[in-house]
Amino acid sequence: MTKILINGRETDVPPDFTLLQAAESVGIEVPRFCFHERLSVAGNCRMCLMEVKGSPKPVASCAWTVRDCRPGPNGEPPEIFTATPTVKKARKGVLEFLLINHPLDCPICDQGGECDLQDETIAYGMDHNRFYENKRAVEDKYLGPLVKTSMNRCIQCTRCVRFLAEVAGVPELGATGRSEDMEITTYLEAALTSELQGNVIDLCPVGALTSKPYAFKARPWELEHTESVDVMDAVGSNIRVDTRGPAVMRILPRLNEELNEEWITDKTRFHWDGLATQRLDRSYVRVDGKLQPASWPEAFRAVAAKLDGVPGSRIAALAGDLATAEEMFALGLLMDRLGSPNLDSRQDGTKLDPALGRASYLFNPSVDGIEDADCVLIVGSNPRTEASLLNTRVRKRWRTAGVRVGMIGAEVDLTYPYEYLGAGPASLAAIERGEGDFAAALRAAKKPVVLVGQGALTRPDGQAVLAAAARLAAGDRADGWNGLGVLHHAAARVGGLDVGFVPRAGGLGTNGIVQAAVGGRLDVLFLLGADELPSGTLGPTFVVYIGSHGDAGAHRADVILPGAAYTEKNGTYVNTEGRVQLAKRAAFPPGEAREDWAVLRALSDVIGHRLPFDSFEALRAAMHKAVPHLAQVDVLPKLGPESLASLGRLGGELGREAFRNAIADYYLTNPIARASKTMAECSAMAVGMLQAAE
Amino acid sequence: MKAFLLQFFTWWNGQTLGTRFYTWRKGKLVGTDEAGNKYYRDPKTDRRWVIYNGVAEASRVPPGWYGWIRHQTDVPPPEETYVPREWQKPHLPNLTGTPQAYRPPGSLRNPQPRPTVAGDYEPWRP
Repeated sequence: MTKILINGRETDVPPDFTLLQAAESVGIEVPRFCFHERLSVAGNCRMCLMEVKGSPKPVASCAWTVRDCRPGPNGEPPEIFTATPTVKKARKGVLEFLLINHPLDCPICDQGGECDLQDETIAYGMDHNRFYENKRAVEDKYLGPLVKTSMNRCIQCTRCVRFLAEVAGVPELGATGRSEDMEITTYLEAALTSELQGNVIDLCPVGALTSKPYAFKARPWELEHTESVDVMDAVGSNIRVDTRGPAVMRILPRLNEELNEEWITDKTRFHWDGLATQRLDRSYVRVDGKLQPASWPEAFRAVAAKLDGVPGSRIAALAGDLATAEEMFALGLLMDRLGSPNLDSRQDGTKLDPALGRASYLFNPSVDGIEDADCVLIVGSNPRTEASLLNTRVRKRWRTAGVRVGMIGAEVDLTYPYEYLGAGPASLAAIERGEGDFAAALRAAKKPVVLVGQGALTRPDGQAVLAAAARLAAGDRADGWNGLGVLHHAAARVGGLDVGFVPRAGGLGTNGIVQAAVGGRLDVLFLLGADELPSGTLGPTFVVYIGSHGDAGAHRADVILPGAAYTEKNGTYVNTEGRVQLAKRAAFPPGEAREDWAVLRALSDVIGHRLPFDSFEALRAAMHKAVPHLAQVDVLPKLGPESLASLGRLGGELGREAFRNAIADYYLTNPIARASKTMAECSAMAVGMLQAAE
Repeated sequence: MKAFLLQFFTWWNGQTLGTRFYTWRKGKLVGTDEAGNKYYRDPKTDRRWVIYNGVAEASRVPPGWYGWIRHQTDVPPPEETYVPREWQKPHLPNLTGTPQAYRPPGSLRNPQPRPTVAGDYEPWRP
């Protein structure tokens, strides 16, 4: 710690703090445009100027560390000033120069109302203009379907350039020219290829980079904010849903240092137009092979008539990728009352089993824990598409500590270098036998991460792969370090496994249910938003679909009960680390649609198996009673390596087939994303790029 | 017969009995507009008035006669040489309260489908 005087006040700060950080640590706000906590220091906007005693000129505080300050002649601590007339005048001058070429666009600019430049102009702006020449004009650049540019407004802070190069790992933006002629450009007028490109919109301190789908749709002060949780992947990024009336207008990240830092993926940020298309807003009953609109009682009676006298073994239920834990708990109760053991929340057929303990299906090292990892082995996964923000953590670890990354599975671009170890389980077995350089490094590592994707677990030998990964993660590790990281990509999966939405004794799992349906051994099948099934092949089964979007499940359904999308209901989601998070309702479901738990409760009454709760709170309380750890919201479970022992002892024959990644099309992984026009455009472009590359 | 009785019992249809008598005594017909309203003038006092062809509604007076009846001009439209431009539309009275009244886009009374707004969603139809 170093002693330093800030505005005459003495304070102790670490010597590697910059003056800006030192000032912020004592509560002094410093204006800045180019500086960002999570990016490298550029020091080019000059807005954060401060006076350092002994220095003839003001210094850029974001690029000047406390250790750079010289003590006084008699060894007094260095002294800095943040609010002297010199500082104020210097900042005023900087801002005046910035505004010389900044257009007076605020009334038609999407950033208006949440613009750093507007805010700083209130504090440091001139009251009149001294610049009578023409303003600089810059051509707008094409950055793809997500990011809109208005380059006249650019103040060359280069945050976007640094973000794409450092965090996203696709250095596609750069600057050409210098001084007034400096321009931010992709050089080739090509769309950005990063799955994190939307974050440059948040980073841009002015309105040069704005959201293309949101362009001119709303003003920030019209929007209502709801803090919620993302369901596009299993990382559970914390988001803020901005609504105007019944419509979701945009989605922004919320700060969570342990999870998404302050980034979100493009799918999270831009899927919101899917929330207003392809919506199920009334019940349907299939009559003579055609779906006919029906009222709620009619739909319920159709289900009740079909369930009448059917034995439990001929009833089944599947939960989809976006279901909340409460809904799955309620549907599980209903299935128990119907006497059916056939229920599954693992609609991709993954071989994870809650009977093996919670640690066997969680990402135990935790997302934040990756920053401590000293060796990472990726098995059958492409974390860049399955959990983009987790991938940025690995990249961050690689950038800061050069962590060694090994990869078994399909060869993909992860934005950081890795050692390719092989394509299939044979390579995994070789690592276990200790063959090769990487195996030795993994064995010696104190905090290794063995990341297992769903591509390796949905296979017939999934459990054997998982057991092998658990054995690799075990060993002489740092105290309490559990290195087995099961990477999910469906937001509902961990919640489903936690509430035990898996086959009861003697029941059928996903594959069994589908086969039984095709074989005519199933009479009624409930789909709770399950759309990833080969639904055309469900045979003569009577399918009841509860969900929000008209996707594969609704097309096949015999009765459709319209439910709510995740922005329209309260609910519990558990992310891939096992962190319990609450999603909050931001809008109401459209038309006749109701929250899914209420649909299940009403249905249970009609079919004569009334569920024991009348409100959402009662349902949640019942769930907490049955599964106590779901009540611990926002707590990271700490499951030590000993919890993996039984999993590691599992044998099983490893197959010979190469691992295939679980996600074929990153942009179209769930019904909401598939309903979104923006996502369809991105998907088409990504496919086009792949074809062009081949 | 109906028109005869209306003169006695209503004031808003054409003219009342008093007006008919006054017009017979003092009025000199100056002209008739395209809607059939008759304009009269008392040559002695220069009093000017109109007898509506139908409902007595002040906004039915077209612009040319408007000026004359309010003494803005002494030349009545029939003696005027004014030729309307081809883009000039025929005069419309105030339609508020009638079925032809203006309904802004988005009004519930507007038979046209309303334009889409941000809160709308696109329902799925089988």
